[in-house]
Formats: sequence, C-alpha cells, structure tokens
Amino acid sequence: MCRTSASLGSPPRLWQEAAALAGAVRGALGPRGGRALLLRPTGEALPTRDGRLLLEALSVEPPAARLMAARACSHRAATGDGAKSFVVLLAAVLGGLQAAGAGAGLRRALRDFETQVLERAAARGLRRHLRPAPPGSLEPLLEPYLAGRLGPGERRCLARLGAEMCRRCGPAAAARPRVLRLLGRRFAELHAAVPGLPLASSRLLPGIILRRDFAAYCPTDGELRALLVTEPLRPALTAPGVEFVVDSEGQYQASQRWITRRTEALMKHLQSNNVKLLLSSVKQEEVVIYYAKLYGVSVVECLSSEEMALISEITGVSPYTPVGDNMDREITETAVVTFCQSLLLVSKRCVHIGFASVCAFQPHCLVLCGPVDGVNEQHAAALQEAFIMLQQLFKTADQREDWKAEGESQSKASDVCTWHSSATQKQLVIENTCNTNQVSECQLKALSDETEGKIFDSDKSDLLVHNQKKHSIPVLVAHYSDTVTACECLDVGKGLEKTCFHIVPFKQEESCAGIAQDYSSCLIEAGSVLPVGGYFEILLHYYIQDYAKQCQQSEVTIVSKVVADALLSIPKALYGTAERDGFTKFYLEAINLLRKNQPLPVNNEGLESVYCKYQLVISVLHCVTELLSIDLVIGIRRPLQKTEDRDSEDDT
Amino acid sequence: MSRLEAKKPPLFTSKPLTRDAVSQSLSLLSGVLKSSYGPAGRLKQLHNGVGGCVCATSQSSALLGHLSVSQPVLRVLTASVRNHVSRFSDCGLFTAILCCGFIENFRSLNVAPFTVIQISKHLLSLCMDHLKSEACGCRVSVDFSSLETLVCLVRSILTSKPACMLNKTEVDHLTSLVLKAFVFTVPCHVETNAVLGKCVVIPVKGRRVVDSAVLPGLLIEVPEIQLGKPLPVKRTGSNVIKIALFSVSMSGDGSNPEEGTIVVHHGVSLEVSELNQLLSMGQQLVKDEVGLVLCQKVMHPSLKQYLKENGVVAVDRAGLSLMEPLRRVTGSQPIASIHSLSPGCYGSLKDLCIESFASKHFLHLIPEDTVICSLILCNRSETAWDELKRVCETAEHVLQLTVKEPLALLGGGCTETHLASYIRHKSSSLPASTFKDLGCSQTQYQLVADGFCRSLETVARSLSHDGEEVLTDMVYGHCWLVPSGSPCASKWSDLVSKCSCGVNDNTEDLSWSFLEGQSSTPILQGCPKEPSVKVADLRTLDCFAAKCSGLQVALETANLILDLSYIIEDQN
Repeated sequence: MCRTSASLGSPPRLWQEAAALAGAVRGALGPRGGRALLLRPTGEALPTRDGRLLLEALSVEPPAARLMAARACSHRAATGDGAKSFVVLLAAVLGGLQAAGAGAGLRRALRDFETQVLERAAARGLRRHLRPAPPGSLEPLLEPYLAGRLGPGERRCLARLGAEMCRRCGPAAAARPRVLRLLGRRFAELHAAVPGLPLASSRLLPGIILRRDFAAYCPTDGELRALLVTEPLRPALTAPGVEFVVDSEGQYQASQRWITRRTEALMKHLQSNNVKLLLSSVKQEEVVIYYAKLYGVSVVECLSSEEMALISEITGVSPYTPVGDNMDREITETAVVTFCQSLLLVSKRCVHIGFASVCAFQPHCLVLCGPVDGVNEQHAAALQEAFIMLQQLFKTADQREDWKAEGESQSKASDVCTWHSSATQKQLVIENTCNTNQVSECQLKALSDETEGKIFDSDKSDLLVHNQKKHSIPVLVAHYSDTVTACECLDVGKGLEKTCFHIVPFKQEESCAGIAQDYSSCLIEAGSVLPVGGYFEILLHYYIQDYAKQCQQSEVTIVSKVVADALLSIPKALYGTAERDGFTKFYLEAINLLRKNQPLPVNNEGLESVYCKYQLVISVLHCVTELLSIDLVIGIRRPLQKTEDRDSEDDT
Repeated sequence: MSRLEAKKPPLFTSKPLTRDAVSQSLSLLSGVLKSSYGPAGRLKQLHNGVGGCVCATSQSSALLGHLSVSQPVLRVLTASVRNHVSRFSDCGLFTAILCCGFIENFRSLNVAPFTVIQISKHLLSLCMDHLKSEACGCRVSVDFSSLETLVCLVRSILTSKPACMLNKTEVDHLTSLVLKAFVFTVPCHVETNAVLGKCVVIPVKGRRVVDSAVLPGLLIEVPEIQLGKPLPVKRTGSNVIKIALFSVSMSGDGSNPEEGTIVVHHGVSLEVSELNQLLSMGQQLVKDEVGLVLCQKVMHPSLKQYLKENGVVAVDRAGLSLMEPLRRVTGSQPIASIHSLSPGCYGSLKDLCIESFASKHFLHLIPEDTVICSLILCNRSETAWDELKRVCETAEHVLQLTVKEPLALLGGGCTETHLASYIRHKSSSLPASTFKDLGCSQTQYQLVADGFCRSLETVARSLSHDGEEVLTDMVYGHCWLVPSGSPCASKWSDLVSKCSCGVNDNTEDLSWSFLEGQSSTPILQGCPKEPSVKVADLRTLDCFAAKCSGLQVALETANLILDLSYIIEDQN
C-alpha cells in the first residue's frame, strides 16, 4: 500500500512552506543572528547556528519542505556554507514567482534565465567587481564566515586561531588547497576539546594530540622512530578455529615460556632498530607493555582508524606486521618522531607527538577551550566547515553553455576606457567623452598588495574603449605607477585624498577581455572574493536586471525580475536585525554608484568567496525547478537508503 | 516485528529568556547558591524521600551535581560551573553566582544582546588586564619561602565550608597537615619537568579531627596481619627492602586470553602447571632477596604461604588505583609476566612497619625519598567527613595551581568590590573610539558596565547572611561588613574596624558607602588605590587561577545564554 498525493503543491503552497522554514532560520542568519539551543533526546544541549543542524532539528514533515531542507543541506555539504541563506533565498524566489503568477512555461524560463541572463550577468557584470583573495591572510575570509556561525564574543578569537592553524599547517601558499582539504577532512583528529576553561585559553600546538595516556611511557630526548601496528604483538597460542593440543604440563609451560620470550625478543628487536614508540590500533597484552617498558619503548594503544590514517598520511608509513620467525630483518617502515611527550590537558593525561611530515602538511593541533562541551562542539564544527568553505576559494565557476561572443554587438555595456600609465604620476585623470568639460582628478589608491603580478607596459597600456550608454560614463585616462595593480579605482570628485574610499576594484584583465570579446569559459575565477554585507546580492541584482532588458522572452524577463528582487532578501535579512532603514540607504547608495559605473565603497568587515555565493544562487534555482517538476508524491513503507542524500546535480 | 511509534514533532521555543518560567528558575537557583556562599553560608540538606543517606553541604559540586534542573538554559549554566569545578576545584559558587548575576542584570537592560555581548567582552578584557598587571590592588604574590600566605590561603579554603564543622584548633591542625602533605609531594631534586607527587587520603570516620595525621610514603590496609609481632622483613646487603610489584594475576587459575580452543589430554592439569610456574617464580624471588611482594590482583594461597615461610611479606589485592603511587613510592616496574623476572623490575624501600588507626591496621611503606604521602583524615560523621575530604582535596589542588602561578587574590569579597570600582572608574574615562569600535553608544556602554559591576558586587553581598550591612570604601574599593544591630553612629569609622580581607583598617577616613544593589554606586575619582599589604594582616585569600578562570567562564556562559534566540527540543 502506498499513499500518493497529487503534487507537492502549487506555487502558493510551496511558498508558504518555504516561508515557514525561512522564518525558523532567519533568527540565526547573519552576523547579528542569535543562537539556537538544540536539546537532544539524550539530554545533551548543543548551542548552534549551523543551518544544517537547525533544519535537521526542525525535522519538518511536509514533503516539499523536506525536499527544500534536503537540498539546502546538500548545498551546505558541498560548499560548507549557506544553508540558511539557501532557505531564505528559496522562500523569496518562490514568493516572487507566486506573486508574478507565472504560468506553464516557468520551468523552461528558469533554465533559459540561467543561461541567458544569470551567466552573462555574472561574467560581464559581476566579474568586473571581483578581486583576488588576499594572498597572505585568511582572517578576512574566516571572520565573516564565523560571524554567521558563532556568537559575537567568539568569532574574532576563533578566526585568529583558524587562520593561524592554516598558516602553520601549510606554510607554503602553493600547498594551501591540499592543506585545507586535509584540515577539513581530519579536523576531528586535529583538535582536542577541553570543557571548563575560557575560550581565551585555547591554543595551537605543534604535532598531534592523541586523547589517551601512554600504556607505557619511557621519556626520551630528541628525535626517535615510531612503528605503527594493527595487530597484537604477543604471539597467540591458538587462533579462532585452531586447536592447541596439550600433551603434558611441561609442554604447556614451555609454550607459555616461549610466548613470553618471543615477545621479549620482538621488543629487543625494536630496540635494536631504534624504535622507541609503538602506535597500536589494538589493545596490546600486558606482557607486551611490560617488555616495552623494560626495553625503553613507549606504547600508545587503541588508536582509532582515523588517527591511524592521519598518521599514515602525514608520515607516509604503513602499519608493520611482524613476519614469521625472521627477527633479523631490519624494520624500515618507521615514522620519524620529533618529540613524544605526555601532555596534561587540564586533568587528563594525553599523548603529544610531533611527526616529521613527508607531505606539505605540517601537523599542528588545536586545543579548543570553552565552558561546556556543546560550545566546543559548535566551535569545532564551525572551524571545520570554515576550512571546507575556504577550499571553495580555489574553485572556478564554469558556464554551462557556450555563448561566446554571440550577441556581443548588442551589448550596451561595452565600456570604453582610455588608459595611460606613467611611471611617475599617480594621478588619474578622468575625461568624459560625452561631456568633455568635466575633468576631475582623484587619488589612485593603489592596491598594490593585491596585484596579480601583472606588469603593464607603461607605453602600450593605452586602451581605447567605447561608451555608448545613455547616462554619461566617464572615460578614463589613467596615469599610474610602476606595477599596475590588477584593479583600478576611480573616485570622481575633488579633494578625495582625505576621504580615501576603499574601492571595489575592477579587474584589469576583465576590461581587456571585454574589449577583445574573448570570454573564457570560466565565469568566476578561483580565489575571487567580494566584501561581505550584501555586495554580491546587490551587484547580481543590478546586473540581472540590466541583462534581462536584452531578453525577448517575456517569461524569462519575469523570472529575472523575481530572482533579482529575491536576491535582495538576504541583505534585507542581514540589515533587518540591525537598523530599520539601513538596508534602504545602502541599497540606494550602491545602485546609484553602479548606474554611474562607479566602484562601490567598501566596509572593513571582511570578504566572502564569490564561488560559494554564486553556487548558492544556482542551487536555489535548481531546487525551484525541481520542486516545480515534481508531479506526484509517493509514500513508501521503508525509509529510503542514503541514495536520496546523493549530491544534487549542481554540486561540483 | 518492530513497533513503530509516531515521531513527535520538536518543541520550538523562541526568545527563551523572556519567559517567566526561566526567570523564576533562575532566581530560585541563584537564591540557593547565594545563601550557601562563604564561611557563614547556610547548609543545604540533600535527601531523597525514598531513603539513602542524607547530606548537608554548601559545596557547589555537591549541590549542582544533585540538583535536577529542568530548564535547558539553566542546564547549560550548571554544566558550565561543574566543568569549571572539575578543572579548578575552587570558586564554583563564585562562578555560578556571578553567572546568574550577569544574566539577570544584562537581561533587564534594553540593549540588544549582540551589543551587550560586545561590551561585556570588552569589560572582561579590562578586568583581566587589570588582574594581570603589576598595579592590580587586589592581588598579592605568594612567597613560597614563608608559610604565612600559604597558611592564609589554606585556612580560607578550610573555613569557607561550614559543613565540615571545624573549630579553630581543628582548622589550625588541618591547615598544617594539608601544607605538610603538599610539601611532601614536591620533589626534592628538581629536574626540567618537575612532576608533583600525590597525597592519598585515607578515611577514618568516627574519630576526632585532631587525630588526623600525615605520613610520608604509602599506607596499605592489611586486615589479616597479626599485631604485636615484629614484622620479619628480609633486608638486602645495602640494608634496604627489595620490592617486587606484580600487575598480573598470581592466582594460578590460568586465565587465558586466547581465542582458539585448547585441548587438554587426560591427566594433564593446567592449574597444576600454572601453580608450579608460580612456585618456581617464588623461589626466584626468594633467591633474589626480595623482602616484600605486592600484587594488584589475587595471589594463590600456596604461593603466599611459601613466601611467608621464607620470610617474605606478601600483600595482594592492592587495586588498580594504588598501582601508580606504589610504583612511584618503591621505584619498581609492575611485572606483567609470571614466566620471567628481570632484576631491573625490583624496587626498594627504606623501612616497613605496621600502623594502626582506629580499628584499622595498615602496612606503612616508608621510602628513602618520595613524593607520595598519605593523609589520614578523621572526622566525626560520615557527611562531615565527605565534606572535609572535598575541602582538603580543593586545598591541595589550589596549592598546586598556586605553585604554577604564585599569586593569590584578596578574599572576603574585596576582590569583587575592588574590580567593580576599577571598572566603574575605567568605563567613565574611555575614549570615544572604543565605543565606535564596539558599535555602541556611550550610554549603552555605561548601562552594560553598570550591570557588570552590580553582578560583581552581588557576589560580595552574598557573603552577608546575618543581616550585616555591606559597605565599600571610596579609596581602595574594598568590602566592609558591619554587624547587624550596630548602633547608629555618626561615623562609619566607629563601626568598621577592618575590611573583609584584613588589609585595610579604619585609621584613615575612607568615605564608606553602602554597597546597594540597585541604587547607583558613586564612582571613584581616581583609580582604586593599591593598599600596602602586610601579610600578617591578611584574613582570607582566594586562588588566583581559579578565580580568574571563573570570572571568564561566568561571562562566557552568560553571553552564551543571552545569545540564545530559540530552543529546539527533540521530544522523542
């Protein structure tokens, strides 16, 4: 027997469900959002602002809401961020569609919107505002992320710790992506939580901490060798399914004695091979521990398989198996241990080991302190997902269809600039070809620390660009210095030295690309970031509206309008908790500057990865399409296996 | 067939802190804790209607461990305080009262939680910087070369729990015992990584407190030893007693860890074989001139008899918890095999004798030089003994913490009032840029700072249980108690003689004023002064590390609770 119901519901119904979900998570959204306390049936209390946990804890019942929550979670799983924004944006899109009363062609229109409007808006509009992630520090990215996940008193401290951990684990910038991947995957083994201490007591230690005491500890100085074992070292008299026949008492005693001697011989062998530390995944017999102590070998037992895997990964050593009677063979598979000591984590004794790494990852571990376990759990989860989020920084967003150069001639926004760069002057002269009488000077704020290392030939950098927009966009003659930053900035007006705006820069290469009509297939380059605080949403909102004008299909125009407006729901929610009219002010200011083709002023609150943000929009659109495509809900008896959890199509 | 139960939907509560039930529970909890605080605190009787023993206590660990708190918000608070106590043993009530105070005071402000948390975090950093600076007027450095400050520190801890039922001589006696025990645990030869030893507490209930004693080395209870007879112990050539310590079972029951099957032919006995092995090992022990054999587990009676006949003292069932102290006292390596003995495993003792306390007999292991000692702790009743044991352990822990950081804070509420007056002074003179950085207005900052100070003063006020007036002075910011029913005098200086911690007296006019809860306390003109501390004057001291951490944990927990915007409770 199975129960079926017609479909997930009409857009109004879908919207109601999405709005209810959004209402439940909105309180935890953004830097000023509050925490939720999740009470598990076991009595544990976990404070959290994690959208995935919130959605899971709500355990919604309506089928459509379950699908929405599942999609939000799978988006979060892929990018480490954005479950709450997903729900808020989804509710806004569904609400918009419902209000617009879109008809049957909606699904097709959604697809067309993605290829015809969204990708263009990203590639031609948004892309110019992006900037590369600052190479040195990750803190500007970590802090805003953690602001959405932790309480106000904790984010700075944890951002500092997280950035420090990345830096120390991967000193070489080239190895960052790999190190971040390892940190994201193995964070559980790379941190130790201590309840009952203030957060300020948290610290980063070199090496790794194994949360158990030594079974045998023989202190040594300096470098030593360690062996990984996965089986008991004491030889067994019998094994499962094997019979040992005792003929006489003497024979039994002799075999017992042989086992003891054999264990001793093995330890001697280890000692002669300079192995001073045994890392065992199984519990060893007491006699093994006894002889280990006698021969100066420290033993740590009962390591989890994850810990063993981590150690193997760091040291490149695989577990050792004592083979047969051959005791003379030299043991080669040993890990180099730089130090091995007992660490008192407040009241528990732990093992603290430093490994010489064979890969780019330099092992460091974080001692996380907090008043209660739940807080430590929240901090650890937030940091782990922050590392997953940072990995996204190194991903690119590709477009789905090739629309290269097509319809380019219609493009209204082919900005035309004249560049002149001089090695001596730092001034930027702005000319307006439409109103040549307007000339202004402004200080170029050279963001030279963020250059991509491209040096412009100062003579050849005169680029001629056209402007055919109705409102006068200034054409620029830029004189600027030595290394041309990958961005230029222009502040129109006089006496700007004092105001000294921070600027959302345009990328030099993009403006060149725009002229050469040579779009690469990548929409958003790896490492692109934007300042936090709704810039992405407003920029995309603006450019979607801009590109939607070129679109002939009325359905697509409707969808464009809906999505463009829905995008604003996120900054609205962020500002909503702070000041009432803050959003309107910010929005008007930003749109005005964009209309004049001027860069946006920037706050100092941090940066966010554009890839994650863009992926969020795509995921939401796919979810909407999916919701609208379902025509039948079939109730089944057995819960579905994990297949439902498979990544949605938009995961990369 | 599995029974399917309908899943209950989760319970969603938004804005939990605005609910009446939460504020009622909070004020109830805070009332219970405040009334227990300090040397004059009232005891709480914990009892179960069904039966079992009753317990009268005023300790946070006992109170919070037994209270069943239903409000999830308060469960976070109690969990946090209990974690603090398990780390520091001390300042549990302080942390709990302060945390309740922060929540109560901040909640009533009409300021967004986000802003409150930002500001309170800043206030905390001001406090911590002050406590860590040399100029701090409420801390004293502990001189380990003289006993006075240490005695004061230990005495403050012993007297802070009235349920121990100690009189003055008993307090003095125990103070000296605790200090003596602590000195025993400090290693004589300090290497780079000095590890403190351990003091093992031995319970003797039903005796007077003054019968308590400290002995170097270890005491092992031996029920069957015959008194009166001199202990026949073999000594080696160098006049020490050789020790063998076994961690493996010597019962000879052939406990086999093997997974497979062992087939035994008719007439072959594995038990006999094991016993033979044990006896041959006994021979080896006798040959090696071992004088004392200790076993963690059970020893075979035949082996025991054999050893006894050969003048070797044999003690079994020592238990796992004694193994580590035994290893350290004797310097021996626990032996885990009955098949081979390595001469390197043996340890040694200077002497061995029998001690009796009350009706119990103990084997006293006297080492040459050790960091292990035994505290024989006596108290009249079961409840009072439990309380006394916890207090003594707290005192030992506090001394260990103080060795790491040789500082102490003035007790008796003086630290709290001093910090409050420091914050009041400091927060009135902050530059405008601070407010801008914090994203708040000066008024908001003042409101939160006032709530912060009031919470600190609440702790000091909680020390008064018999209607004493609590005063603070305008020069040092210390705490003064005036006994209730004092005649109305024209001058406060006629009523107060010394501040709670004993550092200041009434010789100069310190312009006292009431430490009232709600009315605004006047702000000091300058920074609260640093008094000249004469160690002999000190009445009470608090542990520096525990109090600093308690202050931070209290605020972090309060902030966590204030930040909660909803609770989702899984009802399954």
